[in-house]
Amino acid sequence: MIQKCVSGLLLLVLAACSSSPPAPKTTAPKQIEGMWSDDPTAVGMLCFFTCTEVAIARLNALLDDPANDARPFPQLRAEADRFARDTYIRPRLTDARLKSYPLDPADDPGLLRCEPWGVARQMFSPHQLEIRRLGEDRVQLRYGEWDARRTVYMDGRRGPEREPPGAMGFSVGHWEGETLVIETSNIAANLTPWRFEHSDQLRTEERFTRADDGTTLWLTATFTDPGSLKEPLVIKKVWKWAPESHITPYEDCQRASGVTKGVSQP
Amino acid sequence: MTALQRASILAVLLVALTIGRAGAHHAFSAVYDDKQTITVEGVVTQFKFVNPHAIMSMDVTDKSGKVVTWTVEFAGRLNLAEGGWTADTIKPGERVKVSGNPARQNDHQMSFGRIVRADGTELVPVGKKREDAIEAERRERARQRSQGTQGTQPPK
Repeated sequence: MIQKCVSGLLLLVLAACSSSPPAPKTTAPKQIEGMWSDDPTAVGMLCFFTCTEVAIARLNALLDDPANDARPFPQLRAEADRFARDTYIRPRLTDARLKSYPLDPADDPGLLRCEPWGVARQMFSPHQLEIRRLGEDRVQLRYGEWDARRTVYMDGRRGPEREPPGAMGFSVGHWEGETLVIETSNIAANLTPWRFEHSDQLRTEERFTRADDGTTLWLTATFTDPGSLKEPLVIKKVWKWAPESHITPYEDCQRASGVTKGVSQP
Repeated sequence: MTALQRASILAVLLVALTIGRAGAHHAFSAVYDDKQTITVEGVVTQFKFVNPHAIMSMDVTDKSGKVVTWTVEFAGRLNLAEGGWTADTIKPGERVKVSGNPARQNDHQMSFGRIVRADGTELVPVGKKREDAIEAERRERARQRSQGTQGTQPPK
């Protein structure tokens, strides 16, 4: 009799487990939610917009070398940037993209026509990034630059199949421990921060991880785009915890006048 | 010639000088000549503390006595506020001396590199202050290294 009761109870528990919805995956670690902004350290200055592991390693090596003590920091930062561009980014571009690389910033529609950036640039934009949960099924990323907002769906839904690609694409996310992982697709062709154009085949994976010190947020973004890249491009960005920072309206964009082509260094 | 009457425009060739590249991520060098620095002195008539770029207008009296309006472009409010700036940081009526990069095409337009007020106090871009802090750390580390002591952690 006791055996029957135990067996019955076990069956009930198993049945209950199998029919209940999966454990929610949307529980956001509180440490990532909130306001982040520019990191004032040397690496933070390097990664003000974007950086790579290659650039970070190069900058640290330059800073560690006493022979560079008299060289100003902006010079070292520019050298690290240039090194990463030549040894990491350029070799990953398709031959077609290399023909027009790097694009002239004087042709930037953001500068010429106040056109907001696409997601490939927005995700690395300088200044504030505010991460907030919207209910149990969404996370919102709000950026200071352009006062742009992205919605990330955390409920496992699939992206639209027949919608035309959009500037911000369609983002789904999940948590891996304390890492927020966002996958974005359906992105319209647009500019990258590295002065080439990506295609509408671009897919990105962003991984947001808080560093052990608790006040630093790292983004590692992997770009896959058969239309512009021979192999995936991994880009980094860093923010500092900034609870006092505020995002203010982006309401007075003036179209640039007096733009000169061909003067920006490659 | 008083400071107000003087429009002292000093062009100095500087290579790759980064003094507060307002909007560096907005194709700064396509609009401003970052290899030149000029200094202009005048009286503030307006300071718009807005995004994406703050704008200051100032009256500058040239050598012939003619008053010319100059426009100075800053980083945006998003950036300046991180350095403690407010809409009242620069007030109309203030006499200031501004250094920065001249616009490539537009006369009487420049970027903000440094402002010296009448009382001698200075305003510099937020990025310049951060760079100064990094340079101070580097100097301290070099000093400790030259003394053969274990230096502080590199400024990473």
